[in-house]
Amino acid sequence: MVGWSTKTAWRAAFSAMLMVSAATAHADTPVLQAEQNDVATLPPVAPHWFLPATAHTAYTIYDGDAGRILGTVPASSLGNIVLSPDRKVFYVADTIWSRGDHGTRQDLLQEYDARTLKLLREIELPPRALAVYKKQDFDVSPDGRWGYVFDMSPATAVTVVDLAHASVARTVDIPGCALVFPWKAGGFSSLCGDGSLTNVGYAGGAEAKVTHTKPFFDANNDPIFEQGLVDRATGRALFVSYSGKVYATTLGQDPVIGAPWSIQQAAGQPVAGTGVQDLAWRPGGAQPFAWNRASGHLFVLMHVGTYWTHKAAGTEVWELDPVAHALVRRIDLPEPARGIAVSPDAAPLLYSTAENGKIATIDVRSGAVRRTIEAQAGPMFLVPDM
Amino acid sequence: MSVSFLDRLGETATRKLAARSSRRGVLGRMSAAMALAPAFPLLPVARADAASAPAPTLSDFERRAQSRDATKCNYWRHCAIDGVLCGCCGGGVHTCPPGTEPSPVSWIGTCRNPADGRSYVIAYRDCCGRDICATSKDCHCNTADREMPIYRPQASNDIIWCFGTASTAYHCSTAAIIGQAS
Repeated sequence: MVGWSTKTAWRAAFSAMLMVSAATAHADTPVLQAEQNDVATLPPVAPHWFLPATAHTAYTIYDGDAGRILGTVPASSLGNIVLSPDRKVFYVADTIWSRGDHGTRQDLLQEYDARTLKLLREIELPPRALAVYKKQDFDVSPDGRWGYVFDMSPATAVTVVDLAHASVARTVDIPGCALVFPWKAGGFSSLCGDGSLTNVGYAGGAEAKVTHTKPFFDANNDPIFEQGLVDRATGRALFVSYSGKVYATTLGQDPVIGAPWSIQQAAGQPVAGTGVQDLAWRPGGAQPFAWNRASGHLFVLMHVGTYWTHKAAGTEVWELDPVAHALVRRIDLPEPARGIAVSPDAAPLLYSTAENGKIATIDVRSGAVRRTIEAQAGPMFLVPDM
Repeated sequence: MSVSFLDRLGETATRKLAARSSRRGVLGRMSAAMALAPAFPLLPVARADAASAPAPTLSDFERRAQSRDATKCNYWRHCAIDGVLCGCCGGGVHTCPPGTEPSPVSWIGTCRNPADGRSYVIAYRDCCGRDICATSKDCHCNTADREMPIYRPQASNDIIWCFGTASTAYHCSTAAIIGQAS
């Protein structure tokens, strides 16, 4: 009993000492204050931002230098996103049903403020084309005035949206043709099943002027990829065929189409044939091309395969000078990728999405992998300007 | 391509008609036409003609294709399929899972059966009306023999082929034989 009492007394004294020393320590640091919840806003859009389609629910805004998420723009896996040319709003063209998988179908063009990501406006659209991972389903004119939404019912058309007045201006039928490639001003072109372009001039009002080029590519034996690139600032486009022929085009009411050149030949490799057992380096993937505005260089996701492997993942990215028809460099990817994008600036970052949804950010000039991000990403990206 | 006077006249008249008429009315009539379309398989006939040319060599898919397990991406009919196999989702190679609805229209592939060496025209009909089936990754296929861009829609497999169904939500894809191609 005595022993127990002594032990208890010692314990009490020791506890008191600890409490005193703890109180002394707390006295040196300020008491944590109560907090107010607030909402973050974004800085102006930066060249190294990129927005992959993620988890079938959104386009996620990443800072490519820090490798961290800045925010989320909601969109289904059938949604398309465009950053307005003045970088002030994100446009999302998407399709939803009032009761999830059924009910009233609603096709919408949604406008999000690029600083706050608040939903500013929703414009009702006629039924859009529903297809996976095609940026070329939707674009905006370089002056920011018109939105072009590709429709398929399955007849094909393009809905022209008056973005200034948040309303549909008109729909233009493009029979036998698909997708939208905006001109520098005043309209857009679409790729056609006969190997031509159809060209729709529209500047408001009721009339749209529609012209057709002569067929310039072999749609039966070497079709052009859907994922052609347009520099909206110049109206110049680069279309690439399954076998790797590049058609540099200046879009307009009467497009000027350059003679095709071979990616493989530019790289000192054998030209790829169209036989089912012709093994060669070939472009492929779901978003196989990117264009860097600062250098004007074309980036192509390449793999070794036979004809009809145009959807296969790429193991390298080839950087090409489309003016000189010359290879600049070949970049090894850390793992095969289905989609790529390149930042628009003079110190470019290359983004590649692997089939497991991871994104590698790669310094183009050194080829070094800077980061690997667990992004749950699909193979479609948005980067500023292009 | 020189465009003839008649072509121009026809296009102008069509565009004027289109600008004046109701799109929804046209959609309704087109939906009816689409519902009837499978009874008149015009495109498979066209593809059959194209496929009758002698094939000198097999594609990589055809070399590796098998004819035993229809729930695998390398099953011979799946030479140009993009999506989830309905056979992995409670349906079958030509059967939609319960609660879904087959699309009356489809994209078309021409695939070679290694068991008999013949090529067949395959209709890849999507099953619609429910969200995508949550099956294993092995049942997500993306093959591309003779697969064409969306400006050749009948041979394009990225399109959600749920036209003319009550809901255009995509669930899975089937691969029904339409007929012999050669």
